Amino acid sequence: MQANEAALAPTIAQEHRAHRDARDDRMFGWLLKGCALLVLVSLVGAAGATLWGGREAFSTFGWGFLTSSEWNPTDDVYGALVPVFGTIITSFIALLIAVPVSFGIALYLSEVAPPWLRTPVASAIELLAGIPSIIYGMWGLFVFVPFFSDHIKPFLIRYLGREAGDVPGTEHVSWIAQHLPFMGKLFNSENLFGGSVLTAGIVLAVMIIPFISSVMREVFQTVPTRLKESAYALGSSTWEVSWDIVLPYTRTAVIGGIFLGLGRALGETMAVTFIIGNKMKLSPSLLDPGASIASTIANQFGEASGLQKSSLMALAFLLFVVTFIVLLIARLMLRRLAHKEGR
Amino acid sequence: MTESAAAGIHPQPTAASTPLAPTKLQVRDLHFYYNGFHALKGINMDIPEKKVTAIIGPSGCGKSTLLRIFNRIYAIYPKLEAKGEIILDDENILDTRYSMNKLRSKVGMVFQKPVPFPMTIFENVAYGIRHHERLSRADMDIRVEQALRSAALWDEVKDKLKQNALGLSGGQQQRLCIARGIALKPEVLLLDEPTSALDPIATGRIEQLVEELKSEYTIVIVTHNMQQAARCSDLTAFMYLGELIEFDRTEQIFTKPGKKQTEDYITGRFG
Repeated sequence: MQANEAALAPTIAQEHRAHRDARDDRMFGWLLKGCALLVLVSLVGAAGATLWGGREAFSTFGWGFLTSSEWNPTDDVYGALVPVFGTIITSFIALLIAVPVSFGIALYLSEVAPPWLRTPVASAIELLAGIPSIIYGMWGLFVFVPFFSDHIKPFLIRYLGREAGDVPGTEHVSWIAQHLPFMGKLFNSENLFGGSVLTAGIVLAVMIIPFISSVMREVFQTVPTRLKESAYALGSSTWEVSWDIVLPYTRTAVIGGIFLGLGRALGETMAVTFIIGNKMKLSPSLLDPGASIASTIANQFGEASGLQKSSLMALAFLLFVVTFIVLLIARLMLRRLAHKEGR
Repeated sequence: MTESAAAGIHPQPTAASTPLAPTKLQVRDLHFYYNGFHALKGINMDIPEKKVTAIIGPSGCGKSTLLRIFNRIYAIYPKLEAKGEIILDDENILDTRYSMNKLRSKVGMVFQKPVPFPMTIFENVAYGIRHHERLSRADMDIRVEQALRSAALWDEVKDKLKQNALGLSGGQQQRLCIARGIALKPEVLLLDEPTSALDPIATGRIEQLVEELKSEYTIVIVTHNMQQAARCSDLTAFMYLGELIEFDRTEQIFTKPGKKQTEDYITGRFG
């Protein structure tokens, strides 16, 4: 009995060791907590700094800052509607194009493509994701925008929108614009050259496709083979397996990938500044030049002071708000979908 | 094994010594290649209607491969090739002109691990039906209930049809997969080691279910559990290294096997 108790009692060395382990673990815990806190601190810091910097604009214009489309440095009057609208609409166009294309790329690579083709194409996509945005901007400005103005824009105006004639009253209204009047507004432009909201959206789409498609491809590969086989065994086609099984199974991650791309599109600066046209005028037409929050800031920050600088800061804060709202919508969407599935 | 007339024609035994029932699936000189690897070497067998046929054999003998040819699920992968004939109701299902949709509505399959779709319990069963038939809401409700009843699951899930199927236990999930398979009213039901991921109680329920289902369906079950084959099958096929060694009535295989290899396997001397 005596001997047993002696064996059970920890030796001094063991006690020492246990003490040291507990201390190390505690310090490691603090270190990790510190890293995580850094994220919160920088987020709150950045949002706070822009809000503080924009206080002058907010107090001068009040809610009018959000609803006014006037941005006039000469009279020192500023409103955020044009850039906020430009940011949302370019990102929306980008998603409209990028999501289906990325879905197709990811499905092809994970379900359809022969194995020897998968790795090279997947690496190519990752390379695309690594191209700096200034290069997309240059390509957009020197290659894509001229091509778009020469070949695509006239076509869009002719067949989707309305074309102004030489004399008033001789305008040509396309069949589609006659039946869907808003199409005439969307595709109607007197600016024959230069960038527009639509070109910015398209280039943004090209930029975010690599992000969305590589996330989608990776999560599609996590779908268990047995699950797909079960659906095939019930007579599903590849399309049905993808749409009914693969997509719902990976939904959370897919939406995460889409919002990763959207986040990039909302804040993209260089490429958009090059090709959006930078015109502070609200126009319903996608073919007209516009401005986004990021492009406005990039264009004007250098020479801004006083109220204009404060307004740019306020714009930056609004970008936070827009991003936050978008993420909130994503959360709500996920919850509703989960509810529908009975979870 | 007594040589039947059919077995005399072919180099390998094809059916039980005396036929139990009319043949449902007729396998003729079936070869299977896996990236060039010769996985099945000339299988001949007659699978009788509305009986349970078990396929046993050591891992890698080709038993699952054989099963996966019966509904051509292998065809979703490249570089897999089957040669020979499998006759189902006078038609060769390996013929590329044979409609995949028709085949999959006639031959259902349940896999090793329970794999409910990421949907509600109701939708899991209704999903397959929608591929083949257009039903009104009321008819669909009836069909789903029938399938769940046949799979002995109805009483456990009738109050939570709108809940996600992933919330069920493993055994319930597997019965849901069986319900999903029989909801299409197939003629043949393929079970690929359906209980290998389940506990003994859930296994017992599935075996009982197999017993009940055989009055309506031709069942082919792959298992590496010999007791299971002995308990719930009418015929047993023993496969080894891609060949069908012996195919006979279950009691015959387990009491007086005709081949030395079969005897060695069922007595546990190898495999």
